[in-house]
Parts: sequence; C-alpha cells; structure tokens
Amino acid sequence: MARIPTICPFCGCGCSFYLVVHDGQVTGVEPSPDNPVNKGMLCAKGWNSYEFVHSPDRLKVPLIRKNGELVEGTWDEALDLVCSRLIGIRDSSGPDALGFLCSAKVSNEENYLFMKLARVVFKTNNVDHCARL
Amino acid sequence: MKLIAKKDVAAVVGTWSKTYSVLSPCMHASGDCVFDSFDAETFTLEYRKPPMPPKSSFLPQNETMFSVENGTFTPVIHHEKTLLFGIRACDLMGILQARSFYSRDMDDVYHRSHAEDTLIVVHACSWPQNETCFCTTVHSGPYAHEGFDIQLFDMGTDFLAEAGSDAGRAMIATEPFRDFDVEDAAERLSRVKHMAHNSIPIVSEVAEAMDILKGTGTNEGVWEHLGRKCITCGGCVYVCPTCTCFNVVDRVTADASGERMRTWDTCLYAGFTREASGHNPRSSQASRLRRRHEHKLLHYSQTDNRGALCGCVGCGRCSDYCPVHIGTLEVVKAIAEHIY
Amino acid sequence: MAGLAAAFGSGAMTNSINEFDDADLFFIIGSNTTAQHPLIGSRIINAVERGSKLILFDPREIPLAQFATLHLRQNFGTDVALLNGIMNIIIQEDLHDRLYVEGRTEGFEELKKLVGRYTPKVVEQITGIRSSELYRAAVMYAQADKAMIIYAMGITQHVTGTDNVKTLANLAMLTGHVGRPSTGVNPLRGQNNVQGACDMGGLPGVFTGYQRVGDPAAVKKFEDAWSVSGLNTKGGLTITGMMEAAHKGTLKAMYIMGENPLVSDPDITHVEQALSNLDFLVVQDIFLSDTAALADVVLPAASFAEKEGTYSNTERRVQLARAAVPPPGQARSDWEIIAGLCSRLGLAADYRGPADIMKEINALTPSYGGITYSRLSAGHGLQWPCPNVDHPGTVFLHREQFTKGKGSFLPCEFKPAAETPDDEYDFTLTTGRIYFQYHTGTMTRRIDLLEREAPEPLVEINPEDAKKLGIRSNDLVELESRRGSIQLKAEVTPRVPKRVLFTTFHFREAPVNRLTNSAFDPVAEIPELKGCSVKIRRCS
Repeated sequence: MARIPTICPFCGCGCSFYLVVHDGQVTGVEPSPDNPVNKGMLCAKGWNSYEFVHSPDRLKVPLIRKNGELVEGTWDEALDLVCSRLIGIRDSSGPDALGFLCSAKVSNEENYLFMKLARVVFKTNNVDHCARL
Repeated sequence: MKLIAKKDVAAVVGTWSKTYSVLSPCMHASGDCVFDSFDAETFTLEYRKPPMPPKSSFLPQNETMFSVENGTFTPVIHHEKTLLFGIRACDLMGILQARSFYSRDMDDVYHRSHAEDTLIVVHACSWPQNETCFCTTVHSGPYAHEGFDIQLFDMGTDFLAEAGSDAGRAMIATEPFRDFDVEDAAERLSRVKHMAHNSIPIVSEVAEAMDILKGTGTNEGVWEHLGRKCITCGGCVYVCPTCTCFNVVDRVTADASGERMRTWDTCLYAGFTREASGHNPRSSQASRLRRRHEHKLLHYSQTDNRGALCGCVGCGRCSDYCPVHIGTLEVVKAIAEHIY
Repeated sequence: MAGLAAAFGSGAMTNSINEFDDADLFFIIGSNTTAQHPLIGSRIINAVERGSKLILFDPREIPLAQFATLHLRQNFGTDVALLNGIMNIIIQEDLHDRLYVEGRTEGFEELKKLVGRYTPKVVEQITGIRSSELYRAAVMYAQADKAMIIYAMGITQHVTGTDNVKTLANLAMLTGHVGRPSTGVNPLRGQNNVQGACDMGGLPGVFTGYQRVGDPAAVKKFEDAWSVSGLNTKGGLTITGMMEAAHKGTLKAMYIMGENPLVSDPDITHVEQALSNLDFLVVQDIFLSDTAALADVVLPAASFAEKEGTYSNTERRVQLARAAVPPPGQARSDWEIIAGLCSRLGLAADYRGPADIMKEINALTPSYGGITYSRLSAGHGLQWPCPNVDHPGTVFLHREQFTKGKGSFLPCEFKPAAETPDDEYDFTLTTGRIYFQYHTGTMTRRIDLLEREAPEPLVEINPEDAKKLGIRSNDLVELESRRGSIQLKAEVTPRVPKRVLFTTFHFREAPVNRLTNSAFDPVAEIPELKGCSVKIRRCS
C-alpha cells in the first residue's frame, strides 16, 4: 500500500493528487490537501481518473502493419523499422517531408526529447501539438 | 491504563509494522500530510485532520469482488493484517456506522473481511483539528467509547494508552508502555476528556435543522440555491466517512474472462438514480443534494447510528473540501437560519 | 497565444489560480469554466457569492450564466466588434487609464482611431448586443479595481482567433488591467500539459522557452549544447499545415505521440485522407485510438500513472508526478521510447531518468533555469519564469513592465466567420466539451462512472427551432455540413439561442469533426472549430 503523488491527466488546472496503490494496482485517488491549485478538492474527472489506467484496452505490445494488418512485434523490430523508414524518407524526400506531433498529455521531459529528436536527427522544424484544438 | 512517551511511539509503530500493514500519518516531502504506509522517515505525530477518512481501508475506492476465467468464478477476498494508527474518534464512528450498514441486513463479506483484519489505534483529540470540527455536536468525539483496540490521550510528553480489546491490551502490555499507577489516574483522564470536550464548539444548527426536517420540512429554496452552485464533483461523498454507496463495474478481458469490481459512487451524479427508461426521480441537482442531506440528518437508520446523533459524524471534511462550500455545516445553517 | 505574445511579450496566463479568489470582477468570454476547468469555475462562483461581479459573454446559457451580473449572448464570431465597441465606450466616457496607457503601452492613437468606428449602433447590428448592455459592461469592467479577463478556446478557435486575443489584450491595457495581483488576461489551458508542450518547444518556430529557431544566437546555443551543426533555421509546419502537406503528398511521414487528430481535428474526412496518403505513420499512445488504427507502427506508451515527469499547468506551475505502478505488458514511458530511438540514430540519450532530461532543460531554458527535481519534490511546484535555483518563481506576469517592454496596442477590424449560415446550411454549429467527458474520450470513456453520466453525444437545439422542424428531445437527427454528416440524438434546450446548435467532440460514434471547417486563423493556424454552417433534420 502506498500513496504516490501525481498530477491530474485531464484539464490544464493541474490538480495534484495521490494514487493509492495496492499490490501493483491503482485502487483510488486522494487529493493533495495543501497543493495551492486544488487544496484537497477535485472534480468528477479527477476523482475517477484512476479507472482507465488498468483498462483491458491498454496497448501492451508494439504493433506493426504487415499485409495491411496491425500485428504484434518486438520493440527492436518496431524501433528499427521506425528509424529506417524515417531516415529513408528524410534522405529521399528531404527533412521537411517528415512531421512530428508532440503531445499536450505527456511530460515536459518527453516533449523536450521528442522535439530534440526531430530537430537534431531529422533537421526539421515540423514540430507541433494540439494546443490549437 | 498505560503510558508511553511520545518519543517512543515511532519505534513502537515501527515494530507493529513488521506484523501489520500499518497506515499512519505521514509527512510527504511536499508538505502534504496524509495517511500512508508506515515509514520511519516520514512518520509524524504533528498532524491535523487527515484529508481523507480511513474508509478506503474497509471499502477501497476500487475493489475486485470476483474474477472469471473461462467461465469459472473465483471470489476475490483480500486478507491483509492491517493497523490504522492515529485515526480520530469521528472517523472511528464513521467506520462503526459503515460496519453496521454493511452487516445489518446482509453480510458484506468484503467489508467484513477488512474489518476483521484491521486493528485500530485512536488518537483522541485534545482540541478541534480545525474550525469545521463538530464531533461533540453529533456525539462522535473527541474521544471514542468503543470500537478501538487502543486509544491514546495526549498527556503532554506522554500518551495515556487505553485498551479497548484483548488485542489492544496485549499490545500495550510490554515496554515501552509502562503502568500509569498514580492514584488519581482516572481523575486525570477524566479532566483531559472534559477539557477536550469543552474545547470543541457545539453547532446548535445541527439539531435545529434536524428538527425542522422532521417537522415542517425545509423551504425548497435552500436546495435550489445550493443545487445551482454545486459543481457535481462528488467530493463530499468521497470524503465522507459514512457514505457507503458503490457502483458495480465489469472489466472484461476476453470471452468469459474478466473481473467484477465495485467502485465508490455518489448520489450527486444524475446517473445514480436514472432509470433504464431515462426517467430520473431525482432530476435536479437540488433534489440530489436534498436526498443526500436528508439521508444523513433525517432518514438515517437508528441501528446504524451507533450512539451518534445522526448519519453525520461531524468530521467537517465536506465543509473543508467542497469547492463551493456546500458542506453539512453550511447546509444545516442554511436550513436552521431559514436563509432562503 | 500568438496574439497575447505580440501584445505583451508572453502568451501565458498572466495571473495565478489563487488570485481568482480576490478579483473584483471577472470578464469571461469563450470559456465554459465550470465544465472545462471545474476547480477554477468553483473559485469564480465563490467570489461572486462574496460580492465580485461577473460579466459573461457567451451565446450559450452555460452554468456560470446563473451567477452572472451581466450575461450577454453575442452573435457567433463577432467578438472583435463587441470588444472594440466596449473600448470605444471606455474611451468616449474617459474611463481608460491614461497614466497606464502613457507609461506602459504604445499604439494608443491607432487603437482610438480604429475603435472609434465601432459605435454602439454599429456593434449592435453586428453582435446583437443592445447598446445599453454594452455600456453597462464597459463601465463595469473599466471601473473595477481588480479585473480578470478569462478566455479559452471560445476565443481562439475562430479564423479571427488571434485578432480576438489581441483585442482582449487591447481592452486590458486600455484600462490598466494587467500587471497587478488578481488583474490580468488569463487564457485557460485545456489539457494538463499544453502549457508545457509549448514551453518545451513543441511548436514549429521555437526551441524551449520560446527561443526562436530563426535566431542565430539561439541556434548556436542549441547546436553547441546538442553537439550538432546545421539545425534547420526555417520555421516548420503547424499541425494544420502538416495535414495540408500530407494531403498534397509533400509530407510523407508522421510521428504522432499521444494525440488523436482523427477525432480532434477539423474536417476529419480531410485528415483521414491526409494520414492515409502518408508513406509511413508512427503513433505512440496508451490506447489504439482511431489515429493509431491507421498507423504502420504503433508504440505502446505508459500512462500518467506509470511514469515520472513534470507537467506545466495553466498558471505556469511546473509540478512533478511520480510513477505509481509499472506500465502494462511491454509498454514503456514515452521518454524511454524516444531515448531508444535517439540511441539508434546516433544521438546520445543516456539519461538515467527524467531528472537528467530536466537538467538539460534547466541549462537551455532561462525561464526553467531554477526548476529542479529536488525543489519540485520539496513543495507544490514552481511557476516560471524561475531563472535560478534561488528564485521563488513568478506568481503573476508583467508587474513593472511587460515582458517585451512596452505593451503594444494591436487594433483589429471585425471580420466575419469563414462560414456563415445561408439558405441551405441554415444553422451555426458550435462545438466544445462537456463536464463528464474529456477531449477525444480515449480516457474518460473508459471510466465507468463518467461514461454513465454522459454516455452519448447530444446536439443542443433551441425549442423554437425544434418545434418548427418537428424535433423532440432524444429524436435521432442528422447534421450535415459541406464536408460531411453525422447522426446523433437531439436535446431540446433554451441553453442555445435560435439558429445555433451545440455538440461535443468526445464521441467517436458521432464525430462532429466530420462537419467542422478546417478554415483557420492565418497567424496561429487554429481552425474555426467554434462555428460552421450545417443543416439539421429529424431522421425518419
């Protein structure tokens, strides 16, 4: 049993709460009492946010399209394919034939690294996310 | 009766944590104080009212009830020897009321197994935890009369330890607990209790509101006013020690496999009472708020009260944490003062 | 954001959430705050109960309307005219803050000249707002001591989105309502890390902290830090531009991390064609979204509960989240996936964890300079700008002067929406979110209680229109625009004015973005999701 601090995955308020963890399962949320944003409160989405984490629909294995179908593959296979295809397209069609969409859902560190990958390796500034939507 | 020096408490709880899964007040690095698994580094006795009641130790927000594999059902009943250290008397009353509810008409095996597995150390309050405490009004505190294994009273540098069960008696039988063998022990304890009791103001509006609800009923305007501003977060229910409602969810993983779980529900969501036809007998937020508060103050089972005044244990959390100030304190005041 | 950055030098929310408690007046336009930002909406309700005033501009009767001192239901897409009209009244009545305008801003004369043409009569014709009400709003806002403008996508998702924002900035500067506690211009961010994704350079034209890719000094700094040469110094494409380029065939591959444009973007028939046209599509996500289903490679990612990292909220507060449980199956944290690609591609990425990445961000990003993991774990986040480890963070912006020095009045003329109703497509359809669901629904639709509360898409229609068309609540109706059609149930409600329909984009079974218009604001390239023309009929 543990309480692990996190930030609500939904709107931009940035409410802070603890995920209650029991035997490797998230079994609930407890709002942070002192966080200046939410002060022990949450909305309906925040209170219930734990539930999708263990959804059976979660993606668990890399998928690779073969003969038109997405089939399970290994990480090495998937990452090698991503690298070779993106490099191939960059080399044949130029850096601006590639587009990278960051995410308003992932962390700062992840967005930073993604943007760095696009700009350094692929030399493109076609980097955006859905701030506009 | 026994005494224990406050400075020895962390070590004792540490010892207990070898046998039990101990939940105790914990000061996180961020400054948040919450009940969490015992950790000598973060354990603290300098804590105020924890933001959540200990309800989740008996009714987790999400709990698997049974699993199904290829059509074979297996009940999932969690067993874990647990010790709740330092809960307050109001929260114990919440546990007792919920326990009564879950055993009165039928035996809820999940709730029972958690209750059977759990030892309770109450930390009696010497003064109100904050301005929303009203345990003395509803007879749930500041100290407990029953239902605990050990109850600690603050005597300055020591805690006085009172056993409430055989298990508790055994736990305080050995060092560093020592006998409280002064002549006026009972008197001193009674003085401490008396002072604590008097330090917590009586909220006269609770009884007044209950009388009004029992008699003429309240003006609809109260509920309409409150319903208009309720943002439907459900927080008052989630932080309530005595709210017991759950929803049942199936998590299907494959054909004829999956698990059935229950999750905390709240009567403030419209879907709680919406019927299959689409009709909703509690169609407005005003009517849902009314239902919730009348349940606590008017329609509460006399069996489940366990010696308290009603189905509210006066912890004040709904007033602390309602984003728009619709806690029980605000509700009883609005009813008693005929504001609307 | 582009509009606010042009006026003030920073596109972020000027104030903090705690400051809502002390505002005397809220000026809310294009934000259904209690539904979209519930714990900010609740603070507004509390403040109003304590006596603060609320001026609400919204064509819909949103929940906050019950608390509004003044609720004005302007015609769709007429915000610039409305705000210019308010400024005209303020100047005419000499209610503007002369000292502030002289000391802290530039371009007042141009503004005065332009807004002078927006007389109450002209504005009434465009917006439908009576001049007496416009006058009340102008006086209330100008005379308030601590006044906060609050807006969200209702302002930005228009072809004139940047103009709308600039015009709001003009209004705030004209009255001296920026740069003090509880006084400012506050765009509310819709997702938990929109602010952070922008801050981290998740935009075509900038590195982290809005350092421009075209600025030679910035380029040199990043080239040195990243041990690379020849960084591209031309700006890149926005998401809108990428879809266009994919459609034309000049963009050949996309790597999409944690986004679902096939539900969230306008005119998804067009998006579908664009994505199908790609030679290669990689999607990294936690669920097999509609977008992921089109991909050549799908990379399974960790959810928020399974990884460590920081998120920047709407008030610029950077907060640290810890991993609670391991990711399911073989799923990995996004940063691990990207680091794996970096290593394969010869870019050193031997980070031990997100804390190491943050150190690199600290070194390269002045506004994040002092935001370290050790400080974040010892409190409740830090608000940028926070240039060094001794800096306490910044509660509100533009205190003594604007980030860019003097604030710029950027007067804008009213321009109509890209699509306005005609004889055939005779309704304006506007879109948004509802309280119990979120964005494309990939997360909230898998939360049983939330799905119970809002299980299906509904289109709101005014009772008078409904009566004429023989539509009752729960009737199945078809909405058709020039781009496509969808079927969903109707909800007959006076919440929407006549000739206006409202629905949400949460439900993939009735994807409203089949209908929406991809016409976009020329500066920010934000599409006009808040209004397109449709026809509605009851399905037999």
